[in-house]
Amino acid sequence: MSSKRILIVDDEESIQTVVQFGIRMAADWEVMIASSGPQGIAMACDHSPDAILLDVMMPDMDGIATFKALQGNPPTAHIPVIFLTAKAQTSERRQFQDLGVSGVITKPFNSLDLPDQIARILAW
Amino acid sequence: MKILVVEDDEVLVAVLTKSLTAHHYVVDVVKDGEMGWIYGSTFEYDLIVLDIVLPKLDGLCLCQRLRTEGYTTPILLLTSQNASTAKVIGLDAGADDYVVKPFDVAELIARIRALLRRSQTSSLPLLVWGELLLNPSTCEVSYDGQALTLTNKEYELLELLLRDSQHLLSADEILDRLWSSDEFPSEATVRSHIRRLRHKLVAVGAPSDFIATVHGRGYYLKAPNTGDQHSLANSTKLAADAHAPRQSQPSQQQQYLEFLNQLWLTTKPKSLEQLDLLWRSLRKLRVGGFDAQGQRQAQEIAHKLAGTLGTMGLTLAMQLSRQLETLFTNPELLKKQVEKHLLEILESLVKGLEQTIQNTEVLHSIPISGVTGSNLAIASGQDSPRVMIVDDDVDYLRSLPKLLQPWGFKVTTLADTKDFWQVLDLVLPDILVLDVNMPQINGLELCQALRDKQPWQRLPILFLSVLSDANTQNLAFSVGADDYICKPIVGIDLANRIHNRLKRVQSYSNYRSNEPQERF
Repeated sequence: MSSKRILIVDDEESIQTVVQFGIRMAADWEVMIASSGPQGIAMACDHSPDAILLDVMMPDMDGIATFKALQGNPPTAHIPVIFLTAKAQTSERRQFQDLGVSGVITKPFNSLDLPDQIARILAW
Repeated sequence: MKILVVEDDEVLVAVLTKSLTAHHYVVDVVKDGEMGWIYGSTFEYDLIVLDIVLPKLDGLCLCQRLRTEGYTTPILLLTSQNASTAKVIGLDAGADDYVVKPFDVAELIARIRALLRRSQTSSLPLLVWGELLLNPSTCEVSYDGQALTLTNKEYELLELLLRDSQHLLSADEILDRLWSSDEFPSEATVRSHIRRLRHKLVAVGAPSDFIATVHGRGYYLKAPNTGDQHSLANSTKLAADAHAPRQSQPSQQQQYLEFLNQLWLTTKPKSLEQLDLLWRSLRKLRVGGFDAQGQRQAQEIAHKLAGTLGTMGLTLAMQLSRQLETLFTNPELLKKQVEKHLLEILESLVKGLEQTIQNTEVLHSIPISGVTGSNLAIASGQDSPRVMIVDDDVDYLRSLPKLLQPWGFKVTTLADTKDFWQVLDLVLPDILVLDVNMPQINGLELCQALRDKQPWQRLPILFLSVLSDANTQNLAFSVGADDYICKPIVGIDLANRIHNRLKRVQSYSNYRSNEPQERF
């Protein structure tokens, strides 16, 4: 598997740092960071990451709205998106599935495991 | 390695202590069963040698008591009774091995070593870290082929670091494990031992930070070059790792923990700031309820905290935050006069959370990733399935949680249907059990309404009713019920039906998504 480029969109700095550290250490992939929905969309357009990790709960533009915007935008519509969420409940997951997200990773996580989890979800 | 000897025969104690210390074990000795209990339950031991015949509390009772209280320390029983029944009784009481007096000391030591080996997570006889090799049976240590001459304590320290390479060892932990309870060394002692050990390691070519320090927190072994670790480790680790789940190298986990600890230095104050916001919200609540925005904000703060604290490995704090998040969704909070009881619960949760964060100086554990292979229907491992039961028969309702709890269900009961939708959104059940005939709203109508609403269309719904006629049952299925059970029903049967229904939902969604992954 060649080196991948991942975009993490989360408004929490700690989560950003943890994700970046773990992915770089475990797989040496490139990790880009965005702190909000709009910033995430801009970065996705400019840098075309191989996958996007998207936090569900963010102020102003939440994960679901961001996802819909990414899907509706031709340059970014093909980029697979994985939701990051603390909610492990059935009804929410059904919602996500119906939306068309590629997968879900629940918090808390050990970010050293993220490259494996991402690869499994996206069948890389 | 620390051993507790519970034996009143002074001659035997002297012989044992001498032997065990020569083999680099730290030994605590007590002379009766009561002291054995006090020591065994207060301090941490790697093994307990226990005579059966003891004053105050006999060995068998002590053994049983330790096991009942959940202590899994290996226990070796000493006795003069050779009879097989005595052995059976001993082993059944929870002992791991049984040695008959008089015994050969060398044999006893070998059995102790075997028990200790068994209790280690890896059953490697050799301990390896980069170029460092430690042989516990001969107590020989070498680095890059060169032998190291270590004092007893230095050897023990190195062995401890090697065995516990998964996490940071604080000076306190080291003191606890390597010095017996009647010595009172200080942290300075630990530091000077570490210093001397480092000098000796450098003298044979090891890097000066082979034993690394995290200031104010503890010590750990720095990751060796992965090349070296693989070549030696692979050849000896194969058997031990055969069943271990595939994980990152221990050295990576160690660095990850150090990284988390560094991050905690900035994350802790930030988390406390978020808590201040929660306090502010609670103060607002006390004077006059939330508006919708205030409620959402409080929820979001709690949600974020749960995510962050969980990612830092603080499971308790994460759970407290999640509870807060759930409570903040309660529509009662929008009232002008919020119920005192609810406020008190919220306040005590926030207080508890604040204390947990304040008191966390060092992170010791790494979060375990959430179950990625979990299926859509049931979050296995962390949450028990949530069952929501709606029935106006209050007496019947009262009996159900107890009935279903041994099955591992989390049961919410509701008698008053006017709260139905709110409670549904709060509980987010995995399965719903409905009565048919209820005042205010009929169970069948409720079922139909649910089938028309996202995201409840696929929620498993079971009817539980005294009405057993075919018409009602058909009607139930036509409005979208999954199952219909007639009262009276024995608890175990209800539990079975719920359990089987949940399993069917699970395997159905498995089938649909092709792989048991969270892959849509």
